[in-house]
Amino acid sequence: MTGLVRAEWTKLVTTRVWIGLVIGACLMAGGFAALFTGLAGAEPDGGQPGLPAVGTPQYEEVVFSVAANASVLLLILGIIGTTQEYRHRTATPTFLTTPRRGRVVAAKLVAYALAAVPIALLVLAVDVVVVLLFAGARGAAPSLDADNLQTLGAAGLVLVVFAVIGVGVGALLRNQVGAIVGALVYLYVVEPIVSSIGVLQPAYKWLPGGAVQAVTSDFQAPDLLEPWQGALLLLGYGLLTAVLGTFLAVRRDVV
Amino acid sequence: MRVEVSGLSKSFGTVRAVTDLGFTVEPGSVTGFLGPNGAGKTTTLRMVLGLITPDAGSATFDGVPYAALPDPVGTVGAVLETAFHPARSGRDHLRVYCRAAGLPVSRADEVLTAVGLATAGRRRAGGYSLGMRQRLALATALLGDPPVLVLDEPANGLDPEGILWLRGFLRHLAHEEGRTVLVSSHLLSEMEQTADRVVIVGAGRLVRQGSIAELRSGAQGAGTVLVRTPDADRLATVLGDAGMVADRGADGLVTVTGATPAEVGARAFHAGVELHELRAEATGLEDLYFRLTAGQEQFAAASPTATPEGAAR
Repeated sequence: MTGLVRAEWTKLVTTRVWIGLVIGACLMAGGFAALFTGLAGAEPDGGQPGLPAVGTPQYEEVVFSVAANASVLLLILGIIGTTQEYRHRTATPTFLTTPRRGRVVAAKLVAYALAAVPIALLVLAVDVVVVLLFAGARGAAPSLDADNLQTLGAAGLVLVVFAVIGVGVGALLRNQVGAIVGALVYLYVVEPIVSSIGVLQPAYKWLPGGAVQAVTSDFQAPDLLEPWQGALLLLGYGLLTAVLGTFLAVRRDVV
Repeated sequence: MRVEVSGLSKSFGTVRAVTDLGFTVEPGSVTGFLGPNGAGKTTTLRMVLGLITPDAGSATFDGVPYAALPDPVGTVGAVLETAFHPARSGRDHLRVYCRAAGLPVSRADEVLTAVGLATAGRRRAGGYSLGMRQRLALATALLGDPPVLVLDEPANGLDPEGILWLRGFLRHLAHEEGRTVLVSSHLLSEMEQTADRVVIVGAGRLVRQGSIAELRSGAQGAGTVLVRTPDADRLATVLGDAGMVADRGADGLVTVTGATPAEVGARAFHAGVELHELRAEATGLEDLYFRLTAGQEQFAAASPTATPEGAAR
């Protein structure tokens, strides 16, 4: 099993896809942190409530949880990790080397979960550095107290779980473009619609997006689960896609 | 190690790809798996290797199905298609499978050298020529130094020099090193020069299996011979008296079936018929192959010229 996990890491680092996605994730976390810090406390002309001001706990929760937005890029990393085997037809040598296919998918899940940890730490570090510097320049650098570390930890958990979900989604759908487009449409079209239509809204807290919001406790949160419930639900989605993906990869013909 | 295939069947929807197919592959020889395009060769090989689940039947390596082999990489090497991530170097591609199979990564460099790719190993596989891709696929198959090799149309895309190299390489692996080699092809001429035994399939069924020599003697070496003579009438009579089937064409051309060029030449010489041309159009084995697989191509198309005589018999 160790050999299979190492084989997956070799696959990951011997193409350059991961570099682009990691850079993108860092830019996304750093960019949102800078944007939200820059707009913090701004009172638009209309008198609408803007973002909470620098120095408030609400502000700190927002800027430390924005790192979780980069989860979409880890989702894509996981999707590519599985679907590239079908896209470039390397599924054939992979399953020839390891005919017990369940072990291949299991190794991928472990490899991507572990690889996502340093990536998540890097993304969080970029977030923290941007916030400390920028908020410090605006007069109130947040301290990394227990509350803020908990927020960062939650964001990190979201990043790692999304990489695992990506591996499972890829094993389910196999088509790389279809899986990525489907995931983006789901996250940015389907879930926002569900969360904004009154009748459907009760369902939202049970969806992955609702679970993410529960974990990172966005300040505008509608009715959501408790953070620990959200974390469990998110892990459940990761497990569900992983098990379904493994089940199908084992049964389907590799032609 | 002996490969035994028995009763294999597989349908894709309503299309029957393979029906009750059985054959054996013996060690120390090259076995050609021969059939027209769409005869079910690739489907069969993928079932043998556990990639496609058969509807019925089994394929075993000394009695063990592929998926149950304790050391698949060290038992069977397979070249099914040239499948690489284009951005990964050939060497890294091999290292991935070294890791997955628990082999030392230094094995990657050894097999690259064995197939003559040592200098290209660090380049991206996406930039490889078709011939280099085939060599890299072969290198992947050799990683575990397996006693059995299964190759699906490995000559596709190779230039004449590459084909010659492959032929020698496969025969060396079987004859000198005693490995079991099963290699598929739709080209009889290729198999005649590489294989010791052939398994011929058509439309997913076994048509014939045996050694090349057996098949050739079964066909008595007789094929289709083309003769050009200014005295076609007399030649046709002479050959007809000798029990050969001679059809007269335009321009003094006579097509003789069921004879070798030597027999036709001898008859003409004895009868004193002047010949301007004498050549074999199809060997006996080719005739046999056409006859055995006639009309069994999945995408049979109208032939631009007349089908070889053998096919019509």
